Amino acid sequence: MAKIVIGAWNELKVDNRGKQFFEIEDFNELVNFNEFDQGNRIKAFFGGRGFFVFDKDISVLGAISDYLKKSACESCGKCTPCRSGLRILTEKLDTICDENNYEQKIAQIRELAEHISLSSLCGLGQTATVPLLQLLDNFPDVVEKEVKSCAVVSNQPGHSYLTAPCIEECPSKVDVPRYIDYIKDGKHTHSVGVVLQKYPMAATCGRVCVRFCEMACRRTQVDDAVGIKVLKRFVADQEKYATEHWFSKDLITDPKQDDLKVAVIGAGPSGISAAYHLLLKGYRVEIFEAMTEPGGMAAVGIPEYRLPKEEILRKEISIIEDLGGKIHYDQRMGRDFALDILIDKGFKSVFLGVGAHKGKEMGVPGEENSIQGYISGVKFLLFINHYHINIGVDMDLGDKMIVVGGGNVAMDCVRSALRMGVKEVHLVYRRSRNEMPADIEEIEAAEHEGVIFHYLTHPTKVISEDGKVVGLELIKMELGKPDQNGRAKVTPVDGSEFTLETDFVVPAIGQKVDHSFISPDEGIEFNSWGLIDADEQTLQTSRRGVFAGGDAVTGPATLIEAMAQGHQAAESIDDYLTYGRPRFHPERRFQKLLKEMRELQSEDVDKPIRHLYRVKVDELDPEIRKRKFEEVEKPISLEAAYHEAGRCMRCYRVYSVVTEK
Amino acid sequence: MKATINGRHVEFSSEQTILEVARDNGHFIPTLCEMADIDHTPGTCRMCIVDVNRAEQDKSQLLTACDTPLEDGMTVRTRTTEVRHHQRLQMELLLADHNQDCASCSRHGDCELQDTAQFVGLEGTRFGNKDFFVNRSVDNSSPSIQRDMTKCVRCQRCLAVCRDVQGTDVLVYSGKGVDAEIGVRNNTVLGNSDCISCGQCTLVCPVGALAEKNDIEQVIDYFYDPEIFTVIQIAPATRVALGEEFQMAPGSNVEGKLISAFRQLGADEVLDTNFCADVVIMEEGNELLQRIQNQSVLPMFTSCSPGWVNWLEKNHPELLENLSTVKSPQQCFGALAKTYLADRMQINPATMRVVSIMPCTAKKEEAARPEFSVDGRPDVDVVLTTRECARLLKREGIWLQGMPEGKYDNKWMGLYSGAAEIFGTTGGVTEAAVRTVHYAVTGQELPTIEFKAIRGMEYMRQADIDLGEKGNIKVGVAHGLAAAKTMIEQVKSGQADYTLIEFMGCPGGCMGGGGQPRTKKKYQSLKNQRREAIFQIDDGASVRQSHNNPCVQALYDDYLGEPLGQKSHELLHTTYRDKKVKVHHNIKTIWEDIRG
Repeated sequence: MAKIVIGAWNELKVDNRGKQFFEIEDFNELVNFNEFDQGNRIKAFFGGRGFFVFDKDISVLGAISDYLKKSACESCGKCTPCRSGLRILTEKLDTICDENNYEQKIAQIRELAEHISLSSLCGLGQTATVPLLQLLDNFPDVVEKEVKSCAVVSNQPGHSYLTAPCIEECPSKVDVPRYIDYIKDGKHTHSVGVVLQKYPMAATCGRVCVRFCEMACRRTQVDDAVGIKVLKRFVADQEKYATEHWFSKDLITDPKQDDLKVAVIGAGPSGISAAYHLLLKGYRVEIFEAMTEPGGMAAVGIPEYRLPKEEILRKEISIIEDLGGKIHYDQRMGRDFALDILIDKGFKSVFLGVGAHKGKEMGVPGEENSIQGYISGVKFLLFINHYHINIGVDMDLGDKMIVVGGGNVAMDCVRSALRMGVKEVHLVYRRSRNEMPADIEEIEAAEHEGVIFHYLTHPTKVISEDGKVVGLELIKMELGKPDQNGRAKVTPVDGSEFTLETDFVVPAIGQKVDHSFISPDEGIEFNSWGLIDADEQTLQTSRRGVFAGGDAVTGPATLIEAMAQGHQAAESIDDYLTYGRPRFHPERRFQKLLKEMRELQSEDVDKPIRHLYRVKVDELDPEIRKRKFEEVEKPISLEAAYHEAGRCMRCYRVYSVVTEK
Repeated sequence: MKATINGRHVEFSSEQTILEVARDNGHFIPTLCEMADIDHTPGTCRMCIVDVNRAEQDKSQLLTACDTPLEDGMTVRTRTTEVRHHQRLQMELLLADHNQDCASCSRHGDCELQDTAQFVGLEGTRFGNKDFFVNRSVDNSSPSIQRDMTKCVRCQRCLAVCRDVQGTDVLVYSGKGVDAEIGVRNNTVLGNSDCISCGQCTLVCPVGALAEKNDIEQVIDYFYDPEIFTVIQIAPATRVALGEEFQMAPGSNVEGKLISAFRQLGADEVLDTNFCADVVIMEEGNELLQRIQNQSVLPMFTSCSPGWVNWLEKNHPELLENLSTVKSPQQCFGALAKTYLADRMQINPATMRVVSIMPCTAKKEEAARPEFSVDGRPDVDVVLTTRECARLLKREGIWLQGMPEGKYDNKWMGLYSGAAEIFGTTGGVTEAAVRTVHYAVTGQELPTIEFKAIRGMEYMRQADIDLGEKGNIKVGVAHGLAAAKTMIEQVKSGQADYTLIEFMGCPGGCMGGGGQPRTKKKYQSLKNQRREAIFQIDDGASVRQSHNNPCVQALYDDYLGEPLGQKSHELLHTTYRDKKVKVHHNIKTIWEDIRG
């Protein structure tokens, strides 16, 4: 809620100048707009669609002039109007008070502003002059008063922020348009460099990311989303020496005191990301990993055919050691050491990135861990990826297998089972194909490889003989009407039970946190879902100095979310060790602000744009690939990468606030 | 689909842009960055503003024609007052950060930016500011190409040609805002980069941001220095292109007029590089036969294109043994002029200056190679491109069209064969070699002189040559470095089983050389006319094979002895070096650069 003095946003115009402050009605679309940080009022807000002023005493023209300077400074310089026009416009605004010919000056400023907006190539130039034009169109008297009384004030307290829809949707806030720009520009090193600002696992993410960014891509309004993930993989593969030669201890310019040691529990995506940022900030970091290899769920959960471990994952993780970090393997917290012992040993802060590695049960009769042929999905993948492929342990999986579940883990299980030589692989899911949470590409790949899908089917009983699984009893389900969340309820169809013979039953219906890493007296609390209770902003747990992130906090989620939390925790740990308290991060505040006013930002593509079709990624033939763990997706060519990069519309927007201090 | 442009109905297919359809139907729209010949539509200049009404929309909007698809039922107007106003304003903004030192510019009188300004009816430039371009690079590090980014309009044509046409991918986009420019990969200067000096970028630059290094002053000094004996050598491809700069029909052969022009200017001896192309064939043909006989490294690669040689040295040093050790005709000429010719004409080689007229920018770099000088004196002193040659003549008040037809008259190096002339086009070196190799092996001339199987403009071609009892050999041709790259990949993977491969750095060979006259808004649009003229010269030549050139025969009889002999090795052969550019990155410098 906010009380607007004047404002113009899209077609909306608000003018409450005649009213007392208490008379102004709240503007409900702006949530939490009162303060930027604690005790610091937001006096005005500017964005690519317009502006809102909440305090009549600010210099609106001055703030807009600063907003334009920020835009000019971010201009890539490729197109004429944004490059030269913005620079000229800011200089005109800087000298506007010194001039007499007011009408003439304003006419020229308007001419330039309109021209830049209508003829710029990308979103940055097209939106940069919008606040100015909104002001000139709707409140010419404000402009005249400021100019004629020489009240145009630049550098008022405040902040500005450059972003794009794909960036905001990315948990790690990777600057997507920039790394795509660098591909267009021919600077592939810089493109990887942009990704490496956020996490070390660029080639890994370029293979397995779930791509929140692509869902937000405005190109979907024209044809298809830009292949953001495939471009990331392209540059990361192209610059593969990055992992071998780009990082060393010499990079650390600001080493912290030797005794400021941080322990990271778990060498999974969140732990690696936390360690990476802490090392770059100059802390000494030691990682304790329960397994004998690094990568956490990325190593043991993601199959080799989607993510080659030796070539890609382990090389990227080796950056941690290049930066001087230590990884202790086969060190399971709760078995080999305890949290208290780490603190006693002098670790000043601890990050818990223990993951969620325990499979959920189906809760049906006959389901027992002790029977042969029953194994949770996550454990099944662990056996294949770690014990079988990595260590060479043989596995007898029989001829038939049933996997239960509809997420990416279930897809990984069925596709891995085929590659292990299981002749008949079934997938049982209680809803229909449309509701499946797995990536559509994964579902299609499993279909092509010959997995037998049973939709609207639910397990009711595990059948075993002599301690060995022989079958799974199932029941047909039917979809009801969608509820208010759009999710349809499913109900069993009475009397539709049937049995499938099988050697293996693999439930892949979710994971939970294994609590054995901590004892109750160590001060780490869990919430009702069994997840580590951590503060949303700081990721600090119930114990001071101990932070947590990744699946152990969010529940089973994605690589990119885990890496984002690792980064966030690293910043909190830095704040804690430097200041003893969390600091204010203006960028995060902007992200929250923008998330809460998302409706106001949504914009259609309002002009015709040439269709440019999305790059096609070549894959190994399903008949060949389904029997081996070789990577399925092939790299794209340099030409294809340049073409795909050219599809990005660069939906950059500048936002700014004027604040009290 | 149907739409209306300026009140006239047009038909078009889906995904065609407004610009394409407008052009097809005779509606001119000003553009600057776009270049259809290389499929380049970056949409950066934003000049092509038009007024567009979408079907069922009341309000029209101004859009750029190059990147907007024409839609069914659209109404487009290209000449409204508002459109013209915004085009004019765009031009003012383009000029605002352009270094408008037009009088000294290499594109003076031949500038696409000026053309566009004229079209939009520019009346003044309100916003020009020196501060907007002072931070940009001026790079004279390359012996071949000058980069003056203060003039850059960011059309990115150079980047496209370097990346897509040549596959060399040396240029990058650097910087932000008005400081943005076309930079060199790995933050270096052109002279230290992977640039192979082919100069294709200079053919597409619409302004004076990329040009050949200007060496005209040096040549004028030679002409007017009585102590200096100036020898001119004219390359085959230049005589069929230079006329374009003097408004002559494309494909005009100006050899005779150029000879007269140089004599009038004060050149002491005017000769032809073609003489040495014949010499090269003698050496290279015999080298090939020797390689076959000794079962040494094959396929043999030709070595007359310096852009290609640079590319191989920088990208595939492991294949340098495949490269023929024979110097290029230009360098053979330099070496023979300062030894053989100086001796026969009794001139002190220390006072002799050899000036080449070349279709090529890389020839400047070639002439400057240390291995091509004796006691600090280069074999070839100055290389002028075809474009510089035109400028030189204009500066000296010579209008080529009016010159009389001169003839070569030097009795030692004054004759050339038709085989030498076709060096100037892709496939020509191979054809010339075939004519002589066939004779060397079989003792008979080819039944038909022309070896048309290898002619053509496809980027990669091949043919079999019947060498009588020695059997067949397979020859390959690749022109343009993108094709060369593919060909090399085939050689490395064993897919290609050629005995000889002709490589030319530029698409089209020397016809399309980086030093040839520019064709505004078009890429290499006159290469076919130039090529036809070359074949006509060959057709009309009295001698068609290198080994039948009497001057060449005399050279071997009286001076060199035999091809590949000791004297030949001394004067006409060279060695190559691994010039791979090694760059070590670290994330710190990359991040610093990203943060700006």
